[in-house]
Amino acid sequence: MIFNSEFSGQQQHTTQPIVTGGSVIALAYKGGVVVGADTLCSYGSMADFKNVEKIAQVSKNTIYVSSGEFSDFQQVVRELAKIDRSALQYDDGVHPSPRDYGNYLARLSYKRRCKINPLYLQNVIAGFHNGERYLGLVDIYGTYLESNFVTTGFASYFCKAIISNYWNENCTLDQAKQVIRECFKVLFCRDCRAHDVIQLAYVDEQGTHIEQPERVETKWDFSGFKNRANEKLHTQ
Amino acid sequence: MLKHLYDTDCVTWSPQGKLFQVEYAMEAVKQGSICLGLKSNDFVVLCSLKRQPSELAGYQEKQFKIDDHMAIAIAGLTADARVLCKYMRTECLEYKYTYESHHPVGRLVFKVAEKSQHKTQSGAKRPYGVGLLVAGIDPNGVHLFETCPSGNYYEYKCQAIGSRSQAARTYFESWFHLFEKSTLEQLILHGLSALKKAIMEDEELNEKNVEVGILGKNQKFIHLNAQELKDYIVKLETFNANTQIQQE
Repeated sequence: MIFNSEFSGQQQHTTQPIVTGGSVIALAYKGGVVVGADTLCSYGSMADFKNVEKIAQVSKNTIYVSSGEFSDFQQVVRELAKIDRSALQYDDGVHPSPRDYGNYLARLSYKRRCKINPLYLQNVIAGFHNGERYLGLVDIYGTYLESNFVTTGFASYFCKAIISNYWNENCTLDQAKQVIRECFKVLFCRDCRAHDVIQLAYVDEQGTHIEQPERVETKWDFSGFKNRANEKLHTQ
Repeated sequence: MLKHLYDTDCVTWSPQGKLFQVEYAMEAVKQGSICLGLKSNDFVVLCSLKRQPSELAGYQEKQFKIDDHMAIAIAGLTADARVLCKYMRTECLEYKYTYESHHPVGRLVFKVAEKSQHKTQSGAKRPYGVGLLVAGIDPNGVHLFETCPSGNYYEYKCQAIGSRSQAARTYFESWFHLFEKSTLEQLILHGLSALKKAIMEDEELNEKNVEVGILGKNQKFIHLNAQELKDYIVKLETFNANTQIQQE
């Protein structure tokens, strides 16, 4: 494969994602940050891989998830792991902080964007370092933002209202998790590429905790569905 | 002496297991004028004696800022020092560009050491003829490192390199147990006292030939200006090393 981008006729530039991951929602709470992502990788409109655990732990106190092209996500996980291993190479026990990872990813994404061959991802880096929580968003262009809550993909459209009504940055871990579950419930109803099995992970002073996937509650026993009241109207 | 049989280049060992070219390079460091460094829990201080090639010339600076959190003092070939200084500054800048944080100090010293070692293992190269004292602050704490032309590096509580540095080291051996808890002012006075031990009989310390740089956990690297140097040199007269206070 030719990697010289001058021969752009032979090297492909990413123009569309093939296997994609769904939305990611991350919130800060009092004492850490919690991240949620669903466990689906879609192949276009097909729900192809339904139990993918996407939340990657890149270092002792940093986690990374993204939505978008899944192979790019896997590659970025490798790149970030490389940086963590540099502590071993230099023998000094100095590990990058979550912010270092966020900035590194922003530079990487920007470089790829400049070559018109982007990492087709919206990335979320979350961590806890030196008593401070960290939550960063890096988008496909390399834009870098730190915030108390970040959302990617469809969640940016549907979930911000829910988050601002039910969450504040000093809520408890359980409250924050509940808000995320509510958001994924809504996403499952409205986003065609969403899935009802999600995975939560949180980082606090003690370290990283990645939980087992769980199914969001969905409600399908509305009387309208059961009694098919609307259907009667349509047959008249 | 059969030394000259084995000292032509870096790629020849002597029968005693020495690389003479590297040892000769370390001699160049010993010819440079003295510079010393000492650290407490919160600060690192670098003191150097600047040489004036002639009365018409200015004084050769010996301390260079690498980044807000790191600085070096040099002894040896100034031209070689410039190369290493530029390398360190570039590395810090690149690290900051990528990670938006400061280059860990030990890691940069390691990189300089790697670079230096590389020059000792090639037929066509010569070692750098300069020793650096690297002062830096990072999340691991306050650091003072020494690098050598051989590619070795060491971390110190206090160290002096250059000509007549043994006198300063002797001073340090007596008093370094106090440095950890010293205030910045006490640290500077200790540094200048050590420097004073290393000057020749007919020389004296003044604000022109002394260079003092300070670096702290909340203090970016700065040089003391001429007035501050004058004040400290005056305070030096009455500084008692043991009690670390001014005495009449």
